[in-house]
Amino acid sequence: MAFLIRRVTSSSDGREIVRIARIEGDRLTIGRAPGCAIHLTDLAVALDHILVEQAEDRLAVTAKDGLWFELDGRKTAVGAIGLGTGGDIRVAGHLLRFMPKAADADDIEIHVEQVAQRGAKLDRSAERLFSLSSVLPGKRILSWLFTTIVLTVCLGFPIKAYYDRQQRAERFARFQADEIWSSGHLSQAHAGLQRNCTACHVKPFEAVRDTACKTCHTKVHDHADPFRLARAQPDLSRWQRVELAVKETFDIPPARCVDCHTEHEGPQEMAPTPQRFCSSCHAGLQSKLPDTRIGDAGDFGRSHPEFRPTLITGWTGERPTIERVSMAKRPREASGLKFPHALHLSRVGGVAQMARRLGSRQGFGKALECSNCHRPDPQGTRFRPMEMESDCASCHSLAFGRVGNTVRTLRHGDPAQVVADLRDFYQLRGPARPPTLAPMARRRPGDTLRAQEQAQFARATHAPRIGEAVAAVFSRGGACYDCHQIDRPGPASLAFRVRPVAFPTRYIGHGWFDHRPHEAESCSTCHAAAGSSSAADLLLPGIATCRTCHGGESSAKPVASSCAMCHNYHKAEGAPSSIVRRGVRGGRARAASARGEAPG
Amino acid sequence: MAGGLARTSLREGASHEGFLRHKGFRWLKIASLVSLLAITGYAFADVQPRPNGGSWYGYSLGTVGALLILWLTMLGVRKRSMTRGRWSLKGWTSAHAYLGLSLTVIATLHTGFQFGWNVHTFAYALMMLVILSGIYGIVAYAALPSRLSSSRADMTRPQMIEAVAKLDRQLQHAAQPLADSDSAVIRACIEEDPFRAGLLRRLSGRYPACRTARALAGIRGTESEAAEAVGLLLQRKSAILAHIRAHLRIKALLEVWLYVHVPLTFALIAALAAHIVSVFFYW
Repeated sequence: MAFLIRRVTSSSDGREIVRIARIEGDRLTIGRAPGCAIHLTDLAVALDHILVEQAEDRLAVTAKDGLWFELDGRKTAVGAIGLGTGGDIRVAGHLLRFMPKAADADDIEIHVEQVAQRGAKLDRSAERLFSLSSVLPGKRILSWLFTTIVLTVCLGFPIKAYYDRQQRAERFARFQADEIWSSGHLSQAHAGLQRNCTACHVKPFEAVRDTACKTCHTKVHDHADPFRLARAQPDLSRWQRVELAVKETFDIPPARCVDCHTEHEGPQEMAPTPQRFCSSCHAGLQSKLPDTRIGDAGDFGRSHPEFRPTLITGWTGERPTIERVSMAKRPREASGLKFPHALHLSRVGGVAQMARRLGSRQGFGKALECSNCHRPDPQGTRFRPMEMESDCASCHSLAFGRVGNTVRTLRHGDPAQVVADLRDFYQLRGPARPPTLAPMARRRPGDTLRAQEQAQFARATHAPRIGEAVAAVFSRGGACYDCHQIDRPGPASLAFRVRPVAFPTRYIGHGWFDHRPHEAESCSTCHAAAGSSSAADLLLPGIATCRTCHGGESSAKPVASSCAMCHNYHKAEGAPSSIVRRGVRGGRARAASARGEAPG
Repeated sequence: MAGGLARTSLREGASHEGFLRHKGFRWLKIASLVSLLAITGYAFADVQPRPNGGSWYGYSLGTVGALLILWLTMLGVRKRSMTRGRWSLKGWTSAHAYLGLSLTVIATLHTGFQFGWNVHTFAYALMMLVILSGIYGIVAYAALPSRLSSSRADMTRPQMIEAVAKLDRQLQHAAQPLADSDSAVIRACIEEDPFRAGLLRRLSGRYPACRTARALAGIRGTESEAAEAVGLLLQRKSAILAHIRAHLRIKALLEVWLYVHVPLTFALIAALAAHIVSVFFYW
């Protein structure tokens, strides 16, 4: 019994070298130790790795404690090889083939060969090994990868989202890929459209059209008749002609809503429209539209017509005549009221004295102030219309009698009621009929005492005397006459009429003025009330007064004011959009009231 | 430069002139002028209500910027054919570097300083990354090649590889008598591929799990003739590995920017396409 060991190695030029050794005995040691029968110079092999022992018709193969080998491809620590069948043991990079033993053979043949060159490395080119290209994916692959990802995410998904929006009509609460195309947040007014790109961008590759805006803004007025608007256009400069040509090339209509109302500028109010958008037409409007009633206006500081307030210039019966008159013509106002501001604001005289007397109760100072009578509306934009009862009556009392602790007053605003009340009052106030004049009392001629008594009573209750008392109220020195113009009835009639009193709710209808930002100024800075002795004086300031502080958009005056500060492009009567938008920022309530719901 | 290329004339090639200094900084001057013009235009352009990529000036700057990006990308094609003369490759590279820098000005003004989480700012960010990686590349090319030759310790790259292989073979022999526990450590050291280091290893030059260092530490406890020989070999391998790793580090630092610059350039062109298409899609 012996083991016949055939070692096959390859020379450097690929030739096979076979060496044969014969080992007597029925034990075989395999390992790295030089004393092993099969000596494997492989550091992966233990010094004494495997012991092979013959037992009858097979070989028992045992690995040293904790070690293992592969027997016929199976990892194991103990195994057996049939002598008749043979088997393969693999340990580290070596394969030991136990060949089937012929019945008559004496030796067990084992082929030992190195099957794998462990650590086969360093076979690549040195340049590549040192370069990053050996550890990183190629630049070309990365480029393709990145390009594909970017095109898919930034172009493919958003375009798909656009067509998805076309398919489905529901509102999009969730994120849609085309939102990554948005160049900036929408303004606060349009915040609700943030996720709804196609609300404005209706058709792909078509610049936003006004029709998209008008889907919601159905009540926006045109600035003017489109034909007149077209006629008023200024001559195009060379640059504007180039701009127009470019727009024409790219199918962008001129004068779109979005030209002024730019979007995607962040969650803020829209910026006020620059002055030149207005002045380009309005600076020379008279020459373009000779029949216009609007004066040329290019810059508030330098070229702007004098204000033309709307006021009542006279009356036809009960109907007021309303006209717009330039302040330059010193218009007279026919309100129907008598009211000398000078008298009321005087620091000496009866009014001031009365103010001092009533001061503690009414909150008056040493003389009357504007604010004692004029009270601002809740927004502070304008002033509430004057009310006789609340604003005048503390001094101008209509009291005429007293019943117990109750003071009786004449009813303001109803002359017929006044007459009736007074008649009633004087009749009741007449002396009681003396008992001597009782209807059943007998009279004798010559009773002079009784005749006198009778005459006195008759005089006291005589109707024309009541008439005089009533007329006195409506005449010079009477309570009504002080403030009102009275239509006197014919003789023997008490049908006195008080002429109506009216003021315009707004004098300047085409411009906006807000008192609140001017609170720091005293009233007299703009309103020359202290020198006005007639209610016909229109106490509005002229443009010169405004210009002490306000100049045009690029003015050096304390307040540079573009057109949009007072005017609205779209013919709305309320505050200009630029101011409404500022209101939106502060709260919608204020904006709503600023839009014109306030009186004054 | 000998061989295939004709000898350069004395006038243009006698002393080496880097692409940055090409023709007395010609392209630096041109790029500065372009930037200055863009800034001046930005200051005086009458755009309402505020500077914006969608104004006429914004569109103009955007067009210039986009064309510039495409032209700059063409360096990748242009560099594959080396020529001299007015439009030499060196001149082209010089223009690439300086005009690429001026793109920071042109594109930033194009944005109108409006940034957001969108495709447009994404394209801008990619562009800035590409330019930053380019700036890094210029700095790296100026500073690192000299260190690269000094890190070699008078060995060529194949020599370094061969030295490691030779030491591995010697270790394999010398470690034969070692006990199983020691030989396993040596085997691990031999099986370790010094080039199987990833990007971060190469860039940092730190190899905390170096098996040679571990083997060296492991073998120190063993006292035998074989262990002594193995220890000596391990020290030599350690020294060679240090050279290789220093070399790898500089090489990685030299090359890494291109792995940002080139793929991001293509990502940028894709983002630019998305930017332009989106602007006109939702006009």
